[in-house]
Amino acid sequence: MRSGSVDLLVVDDGAALRGYDCRDVVRVEEVAGEPGGYLVRLGRLGSPREVACREVLGSVALSAREIRPVPEVLRERITGEKPWAVGLTGQGMYLLY
Amino acid sequence: MRNGAANTVFEVIGMVSTSGISPLDEARGELLREASIDAEASGREKAQEESGPARSLLVFFLGSEGFAVDLVHVRKVLRPSRIACVSGAAPEVLGLMNCQGEVLCVLDLRRILSPGKETAQPAATEGKFIVVVQHGGKEAGFLVDEVRDVAELPASSVHPVLDSIDPSRASLFEGTVACGGRFVGLLSPSACLNP
Repeated sequence: MRSGSVDLLVVDDGAALRGYDCRDVVRVEEVAGEPGGYLVRLGRLGSPREVACREVLGSVALSAREIRPVPEVLRERITGEKPWAVGLTGQGMYLLY
Repeated sequence: MRNGAANTVFEVIGMVSTSGISPLDEARGELLREASIDAEASGREKAQEESGPARSLLVFFLGSEGFAVDLVHVRKVLRPSRIACVSGAAPEVLGLMNCQGEVLCVLDLRRILSPGKETAQPAATEGKFIVVVQHGGKEAGFLVDEVRDVAELPASSVHPVLDSIDPSRASLFEGTVACGGRFVGLLSPSACLNP
């Protein structure tokens, strides 16, 4: 991780792209019997949790200027885990969890 | 004789006009014109006081149904570009769009207005418009089918929400306005932005 940036593990959850802080990733496991299914175990930095995803796309480094706050209108309409920011790059948009 | 009587009066007061109109009449006429202008202006002010200041409304359509929102709350109107989906979001959330370097949450106004008529497929965005509305520190883009025009209407032309509107939906409206020969629902930006 560089100063003023964050390295993200980008995954496709089947509907959207999610980014997780690489430092928080404990392990990525392929789910047996489910082609294209992965389980990302997190918790190196915070409380342990796991996220199921369809595909692991790799990592991307986001600089501070590529990070935007989550619009309030969206934050109020999300159930479950809420993203802490939105990554905005030329390649796409990632919700950061 | 009427003319003779008038001439007599002019002679008495010593003011005779070569054009046949006395300076007194000219002065009175001038006074009457001024009074008429004042009355007209006063009438306009009174009418404005009674009807309230004019409101500029952006009129748009969802299918054949017309809606309006006060232009004060409209930040811009865009064509949809790539919208990124969001997992776990409410059905009316179409996703996020890069709006000139800012992240814009795009909502499906059709789903907000008809929450019971949710379809499995998200709304297609091709050929449509996004009306970006701002109110109370919140901002969102609402997907609409067609943006028609801006209507200038006196505030008095905003009527209560029609009784025929479903009560659950009625809270989304400020009222009803007659616009271009049809009634359109005037949306409440606050109600539409807050879940």
